[in-house]
Amino acid sequence: MRYLVPVLVGIALLAIWEVWVSLANIPVFILPRPSAIGAALVDNFATLMAALWVTLKVTAAAFFWAAASAIGLAIIFTRARLIEMALYPYVVTLQVTPVVAIAPLILIWVGFDNVSRALVIIAWIVAFFPMLTNSVQGLRSVDPQLHDLMRLSGANWWQRLCYLELPAALPSILTGAKISGGLALIGAVVAEFVAGSGASTGLAWRIIEAGNRLEIATMFASLALLSALGIVLFYLLSFCEWLLLHRWHDSFQRG
Amino acid sequence: MNALALNAAGLRYDNGFTALSDITAQFARGSFTALVGPSGCGKSSLLRLLAGLEQPTIGSVTGLAQSDIGFVFQEPTLLAWRSVAENITLPLKIEGHARSEIDTRLAEALQLVGLTDFADALPRQLSGGMKMRVSLARALAKRPPVLLMDEPFAALDELTRFRLDDDLRAIWRQQDCTIVFVTHSVTEAAYLAERALVMQEGKLKAEITIDQAGRTDNFRGAPTYTEACAELSQALGHKSGHKSGAA
Ligand SMILES: Nc1ncnc2c1ncn2[C@@H]1O[C@H](COP(=O)(O)OP(=O)(O)OP(=O)(O)O)[C@@H](O)[C@H]1O
Ligand SMILES: [Mg+2]
Repeated sequence: MRYLVPVLVGIALLAIWEVWVSLANIPVFILPRPSAIGAALVDNFATLMAALWVTLKVTAAAFFWAAASAIGLAIIFTRARLIEMALYPYVVTLQVTPVVAIAPLILIWVGFDNVSRALVIIAWIVAFFPMLTNSVQGLRSVDPQLHDLMRLSGANWWQRLCYLELPAALPSILTGAKISGGLALIGAVVAEFVAGSGASTGLAWRIIEAGNRLEIATMFASLALLSALGIVLFYLLSFCEWLLLHRWHDSFQRG
Repeated sequence: MNALALNAAGLRYDNGFTALSDITAQFARGSFTALVGPSGCGKSSLLRLLAGLEQPTIGSVTGLAQSDIGFVFQEPTLLAWRSVAENITLPLKIEGHARSEIDTRLAEALQLVGLTDFADALPRQLSGGMKMRVSLARALAKRPPVLLMDEPFAALDELTRFRLDDDLRAIWRQQDCTIVFVTHSVTEAAYLAERALVMQEGKLKAEITIDQAGRTDNFRGAPTYTEACAELSQALGHKSGHKSGAA
């Protein structure tokens, strides 16, 4: 039921769209019919898949680095208040500055011969912050009595981290990961837009290119793939969350 | 020889609340002390002071290394993602005992608290009393020279409590450890301990020795027990004779 209902809704919407576009005679360069989009997808399959692969690589790399650096920094923050006080304003600065505005700078710094690295850095900036704040919050909210228990057990900081803090923070970290996964994709798209022609070959660039050529059906096909990528990413992370938490965490009790 | 001692110790929390003031008490090695008093009088605070989890704001505490202390918190304080067995063995693992040693101690501790069948259960699958017994097993498995216990049996039914009372006394005898046991229950204090400290509003109000001479298995029927109950009730401010009649 949980899967069937949304699928049926989707099919119904596509059918309405198809019929409505035919009946209202909407020109193809404004709104193509779903069947035309499907055809565009099949026609350009190889190019689109290659583009999908490029965007996926940028997104995955950005997500990985965002997660690793955010968790690492969160651990440092929770150990050393001074470092947090010193660095936090700059992390916030990085977050509030619109990434589109810094992206050209990063492209110049990293160099146009290294575009994929620049794309990853831009997407990383977008994905980093929620991962950091969620990790910090998770590490901070450990029951103080459990800390006392570790103290009385003579745990060193590494044992305390592995046995107590990381597992206790895992629910928050994974919440952050679900947000960051989506943001990494958005970051990758923004980065490709900014990097512009020639330099990038991902799905976002296909969208711009198709738009310029008024191949609206191809544009929609790319868009659909982008959404599909985002959905797969989200459910993949949700599945990881379920895998790691369902046995013990309250949020998975009864269903 | 004292295992623990408080020398005119006081504790003031960060919010300015004075939880303990001017407490002087000795805990001889191998002694069994009960700590009784009304809710909020500072029993848990005193136990935390003894464990070195809080530092006295005035006076001093002479204690042991924290690794020598077994602590049973007032709440179960279990790691939700670890099974019963994994919770019990974690302190042993951290201390670096051999696998075989850990396994024997685990089996023994599970047996003692009657949770052998639940070794692989997760805390959320247990009742409140069962969780408390896991916490107790965890402290006992460490075989510490000093056991500090904060109302460990409060959530248990009377029958289980009576059995664990006897088990605890047997462990105390056998391992020759020093025990400080917080309880609300006058009868439990009189039954378990050699001595009871009565607290009120952050101060020690009375120290009552419970006569152990000629103690038999049927201590609950002995006149010394009834007397101790009466004395304790009185020190706590009950109407004289009220509790002793019931006991
Ligand atoms: N971390 C804290 N910060 C401020 N005040 C505290 C803190 N912990 C305890 N207190 C205060 O200290 C007093 C004694 O608390 P404590 O927990 O020691 O009481 P208790 O005798 O163990 O009570 P109970 O029998 O209900 O467990 C209480 O009035 C409580 O409000
Ligand atoms: Mg208490």
